Amino acid sequence: MTDFEIIVGLETHIQLNTRSKIFCSCKADSWGDPPNTNICPVCTGLPGVLPVLNRTVVEKAVLLAVAMHAESVQPISYFARKNYFYPDLPKGYQISQYDEPLARGGYLDVPMPDGAVRRVTIQKLHLEEDAGKTVRAKGRRLIDFNRCGVPLIEMVTGPDLRSADEAAQYLIRLRQLLRWLEISEADMEKGHLRCDANVSIRPMGLNYLNPKTEIKNVNSIDAVRQAIQTEVERQKREVSAGRPIEAWTLEWDEDLGALHKMRSKETEADYRYFREPDLLPLLVDSGMRKRILGAMVELPLERRARFVMQYELPEYDAEILTEERSLSEYFEATLTARPGEAKTISNWMMNDVMRMLRERSVTASRLRLRPEHLAAIIGMVEGKLITTNTGKELLEKVEESGRAPADIVAAEGLSQVSDDSRLRSLAEEVVAESPDQLKAYRNGKTSLIGWFVGQVMRKTGGKAEPQRTRAILEDLLSE
Amino acid sequence: MRQALCDLPGHELVKRLRRKEISAVEILESVRGRIEAVEGRAPTTEPYSAQPADLERVHAYITLSLDRARQQAEAIDRALAAGEDPGPLAGVPLAVKDIFCVRGTRSTAASRILQDFISPYSATPVARLEQAGALTIGKVNLDEFTFGSSNESSAFLPPPGNPWDPRRVPGGSSGGSAAAVAAGEATISLGTDTSGSIRQPAAYCGVVGLKPTYGRVSRYGLIAFASSLDCPGPVTRDVTDAALALKVMAGPDPRDATAANLPVPEALGDLDQSAPKLRIGLSPDYFRLQYPEPSTGGLSERPVDPEIEAAVRRAADLLSDAGHTIVENVPMPNTRYGVPAYFVISRVEAASNLHRYDGVKYGYRYPGEVADLRELYRRTRGVGFGLQPKLRILMGMYVSGEEYEKDYYQRALRVRTLIRRDFERAFDPHGDFRLDCLLTPTTPSTAFEIGALYGDTVSMQYVDLLTVPADHAGVPAVSIPAGLDGRGLPIGIQFIGPDFSEVRMLQAARAFEQATEGDEWRRIQPRVVAAASAGV
Ligand SMILES: [Zn+2]
Repeated sequence: MTDFEIIVGLETHIQLNTRSKIFCSCKADSWGDPPNTNICPVCTGLPGVLPVLNRTVVEKAVLLAVAMHAESVQPISYFARKNYFYPDLPKGYQISQYDEPLARGGYLDVPMPDGAVRRVTIQKLHLEEDAGKTVRAKGRRLIDFNRCGVPLIEMVTGPDLRSADEAAQYLIRLRQLLRWLEISEADMEKGHLRCDANVSIRPMGLNYLNPKTEIKNVNSIDAVRQAIQTEVERQKREVSAGRPIEAWTLEWDEDLGALHKMRSKETEADYRYFREPDLLPLLVDSGMRKRILGAMVELPLERRARFVMQYELPEYDAEILTEERSLSEYFEATLTARPGEAKTISNWMMNDVMRMLRERSVTASRLRLRPEHLAAIIGMVEGKLITTNTGKELLEKVEESGRAPADIVAAEGLSQVSDDSRLRSLAEEVVAESPDQLKAYRNGKTSLIGWFVGQVMRKTGGKAEPQRTRAILEDLLSE
Repeated sequence: MRQALCDLPGHELVKRLRRKEISAVEILESVRGRIEAVEGRAPTTEPYSAQPADLERVHAYITLSLDRARQQAEAIDRALAAGEDPGPLAGVPLAVKDIFCVRGTRSTAASRILQDFISPYSATPVARLEQAGALTIGKVNLDEFTFGSSNESSAFLPPPGNPWDPRRVPGGSSGGSAAAVAAGEATISLGTDTSGSIRQPAAYCGVVGLKPTYGRVSRYGLIAFASSLDCPGPVTRDVTDAALALKVMAGPDPRDATAANLPVPEALGDLDQSAPKLRIGLSPDYFRLQYPEPSTGGLSERPVDPEIEAAVRRAADLLSDAGHTIVENVPMPNTRYGVPAYFVISRVEAASNLHRYDGVKYGYRYPGEVADLRELYRRTRGVGFGLQPKLRILMGMYVSGEEYEKDYYQRALRVRTLIRRDFERAFDPHGDFRLDCLLTPTTPSTAFEIGALYGDTVSMQYVDLLTVPADHAGVPAVSIPAGLDGRGLPIGIQFIGPDFSEVRMLQAARAFEQATEGDEWRRIQPRVVAAASAGV
């Protein structure tokens, strides 16, 4: 049987997280709001209204274009009208960039789990407005215009992805980047990040492109992976049976895990694009570009590499700590307070701080436990002022109360007991109270040392300095 | 002769009002009386056949809002009594072309498809005029969606008649505007100009029609025809009123990205403050009509009406006598392509702008049974749109289709650039001509009879031949009355200036007005007004 190469390109639509819509001042995010509550004459296309471009949309798009290494962020770009009839398209045309988009070219280097890196090229990045939503109920069409005019970026990749897994990895990295740049919530389930996949196959080793099919309506990264996998298997079966692949548009049925044919490509409409006369050309001059890029931050993959280089963190740690921007900033802020202890801090964060984040469903920037608190706690543990266990409990106490760790330690008397004479008298008490265990120990069951340490711990409320306690006990027990 | 209040210019009304010689309510009552005398039966969308009485009346208004105007008038009188400033247009009766949205009123675009549409918001120019104290008398008739030059394509019939001869058209598409102002049914009107729709009816009705620079006045709330050409502007009794009205409605608008971010010149409030000596050009390309023969495609030529040419030449002589410099033989060679290019560009934009009228959200929806969404669209638009919108949609769809777009639409855009270049060359301060403005005829002929051209879309369009170049170029232009022809019909002459030169252009127009103050024709009233004044 022939070995096939899989060719996938992705067309993504990214909903920007601006406060207002792209051409009017209505609230952009309507998640959970009742239908038709965030609308006005402009976004519902009343007679006589005009669009006015939201500059924040442009700023966010320029950030993304630069982060995607765009070859050019165009100093001048244009909006066009894409004309078609649909009930949830109130003007009968969608305002979208077309032949002169905001940015051309670019790429994202996507690390794959096997260590390889796939460079995914970007053909163009453009701005457009979203349409409304049609819901069918009891033989009626109900239209919700809330989503009309929500700002979208359309970004199309080259045919560079070679498997369903690679497509999923690309989306994971894109989602990470969008959240990192704080330009989109990038939640696929909520439609903040939407993806159509173009899929074709060819015999391995050849380099022409076969007809492709387009898969629409995939609402999660897992669904993208499954849908592409399903389509690849179908295409392999068709080709192996000697049947041609036709340029269909397919729809992914999440519930059935199956693809349905929506339409053949040749019936595609003529949108009669022309320049939108109601908007001026979009100018991004060097001054504006400079101002926008003033807000640019180090990108996730760069930061990951730097954490490995600069702090000698293991790849694994660096990956985890840079999954999300505020987490990586939290790490570095903690490190500023305790320079040279990168791995120790990383361990605390990956074991404890991230558990707290998961339990509370917040990002690191939202914790009351600030990086300086974490640094102070680590400092007390390292300096043996408190035990590790006390340190871990302190994390929670600081988070609950917002008080400084040192204050809590002082107020609750959590300081480690390391005074030799006090430890020795407590140890003597324990030995005296435990004749059976003493006998067993002296008969060779030395593993009981842990039990004795535990008894001393109990008497101190967990504050006994463990190594010293152990040494004193060994001394007493062996007498 | 003592003139009725409804026949006075706005600045005169404001002056008398401020001196408390008259009240806003008195002005309104004068207009109400005139409307009752000359307006005739109200236009409707019912099947129409012309009655003899219809040919004696003006039929300017689709909707009258005299109660609303009465409240505005009373508020102004109260403000005056309280010693407050009632605004620069206080008490001036305003007719709004029914292509503008006015909050809480019917805004029909003279189309069945919007015949019951009540706008929830007001257009920026309307809001600014009302803010300045204007009394909104009502919404005046127009060609359906402004698609026409005679006002005959309105879905609301009878169509407006020309107050000088109601068997003739008032012009279009702002026909109701020009007719209302000429007949004393309003003092100023807010119109729109896309290919001449303010200036051509102003010329036909013997009033002033100003198309400002594109971007000088916000288009927010103007129901779009061809968005890159549409220009709101005033229709008035004289040049001073045109400047005053422009001053009120112009200026940046956060709701219109294409509204220019420029301050409004203070001088619009006092044109006579300075009287600069101007360089005024005459172009041979505006004294002849060149147009492609629809049958052969060859270029035909005929002269403009000799009486109109004579009126322009006389104006040039008078302006020369007043110390201005007349520059002859300014070439404007691309004037002849204005109409064909307009045909294409306006229809592409119009087809797209009309997409939103689909029966889904507002306006007319076909009430019968339909099989599916497609049929709902087809039937709604089939019944809701009249002939002109349908023709324009078909043509617009055709020339913007993927396979024809390059040959038609892109080419028309290049022609538009060439037309713009003609003006740039004429106005270039370092060029051969260095003009402050051009002086041209507004129209090739005076008002024609109702029914004479309607149905011949191409011929009708050539009525705009001398006005459409300024729309393509975006430059300001004004038509002012310059006499009557042998049949007693008004002749209009046009001044065209460079971008945002409204003050100078209007000063040129004002200079002509002053030079002809004593002319006999200025004392002749339109026939319906004379009849009303005589109590007939
Ligand atoms: Zn809105």
